[in-house]
Amino acid sequence: MAERLLTFSIFRYNPATPEIAPRMQEFQLDETPNMTLFIALNRLREEQDPSLMFDFVCRAAVCGSCGMLINGRPGLACKTLTQDLPDRITLMPLPVFKLVGDLSVDTGVWFRQLNENLEAWIHTDKEFDPKSPEERMDNALAQEIYEAERCIECGSCIAACATANMRADFVGAAGLNRIARFLIDPRDERSPQQVFEVVGTDEGVFGCIGLMACDDICPMEIPLQQQLALVRRKMAWAGLKGK
Amino acid sequence: MYLQKTLAKSPRWEAGTELVELFTGLFLLGFLQFHLFAVSSIILGQETFNRDSQFLDEYYISYIGIPLVILAILVHGLAAMRKAPWRVEEMRIFLQHSRRLQHLDTWAWLAQILTGLGVLVLSAIHIWSTLSTWPIEAAKSALRVQSGHFSLLLALLVLAEIHAMLGLYRILVKWSWVHRQKFTKYLVYATLGLVALGFVALVVFYFTSVKV
Ligand code: HEM
Ligand code: SF4
Ligand code: FES
Repeated sequence: MAERLLTFSIFRYNPATPEIAPRMQEFQLDETPNMTLFIALNRLREEQDPSLMFDFVCRAAVCGSCGMLINGRPGLACKTLTQDLPDRITLMPLPVFKLVGDLSVDTGVWFRQLNENLEAWIHTDKEFDPKSPEERMDNALAQEIYEAERCIECGSCIAACATANMRADFVGAAGLNRIARFLIDPRDERSPQQVFEVVGTDEGVFGCIGLMACDDICPMEIPLQQQLALVRRKMAWAGLKGK
Repeated sequence: MYLQKTLAKSPRWEAGTELVELFTGLFLLGFLQFHLFAVSSIILGQETFNRDSQFLDEYYISYIGIPLVILAILVHGLAAMRKAPWRVEEMRIFLQHSRRLQHLDTWAWLAQILTGLGVLVLSAIHIWSTLSTWPIEAAKSALRVQSGHFSLLLALLVLAEIHAMLGLYRILVKWSWVHRQKFTKYLVYATLGLVALGFVALVVFYFTSVKV
């Protein structure tokens, strides 16, 4: 493969120096075989501009911290190979989340708030007995729950969603997928009616207009269309049935 | 806690509005196809068309149906447009987001808003002009098509079918368990087929001889 010279156009802004307006800055870098955006950004920081801010932890599509807009589309930078991109690569931070600086955003606070609002934990009155054997669960159901649990909270689906971009209080696909997980888990004793009070709203599942960018973009390929529809059906049904 | 939000928050109302949008949309979808097939009876001749029209008239279907459809359009429009980007800031966010993302389904929503608004305006003109020459007869309709309404009706046909099929797509995406890749192409075929049928009906009207 002939070596390419890549041009990166990178969003720059540091909230600590608000006198410098947000801008796009260009960098050039020669491409090496199997180069990921993780490698490219680290080289840019080492060789050209030590002030460049971006996040990586696991660099293996596990931690979800490297989400950014790659040529306009949300994705994981550590998983993206430059060979799949054109010569010109535009990088911007994810929208919706609070900007830390340049390409770095704070998804943690957003997801923590979401999980608190949705009370995303098992609600049960059962006493936990550490000595008793674990309750058995049907394998198919365990798989279904696991499917939703694969979310790494990267925020790509939120950034890809026009509704989440326009309306700050919308829970988005990650939130609805999370609720789907608890709706199908028999250990969670919340009734659909109880969940309805939190999710059967315009900030919840009925705020979703089915744009499906989440489903197309999720780097974990969680079947978000089906997860969202499941929550929608359960919530509509709970609303119709009443208390 | 915020007083006004806590007092006003009603999942029941918000879910109810979504269901109103769904069922008025489905009702209009059914009506639109029924209307298309009824009008297309002109292809079989003026007598068939007039017989259908008289049938709907005689059993009061027109007198119940037309007000219901007008009401459904208004209620549906209001319920469905509640999610549209109304504020200037929202509009700019939506457009900038769509342009960055270049994602077909996101553009499709904009198309649905615009076709919906188009249908609202054109259907008002269409309903007005039809009611003002009541009852519906093939000769009167043909005269209307030949005296300048051809392009208006063609535009209404195309906008309404695109809007309705996007709506059906949206309903299946939002409520069904089938992945959208499985049904998208059939909806595209259906749209093309229905628009073609309507177009043929319009052309037949255009060449129907009107004795004055
Ligand atoms: C021939 C008349 C019409 C038909 C057959 C029709 C059909 C539909 C259907 C089936 C849906 C999907 C409903 C859902 O997602 O729950 C829909 C959505 C929509 N309709 Fe209509 N509609 C018509 C007229 C209108 C008019 C007059 C307007 C606006 C003024 C409008 C605006 C919308 C919008 C904005 C949506 C998207 C709603 C969303 O974001 O969820 N429609 N329509
Ligand atoms: S659902 Fe997918 S896109 Fe959304 S946060 Fe989880 S892993 Fe990321
Ligand atoms: S660095 Fe952990 S997902 Fe990319």
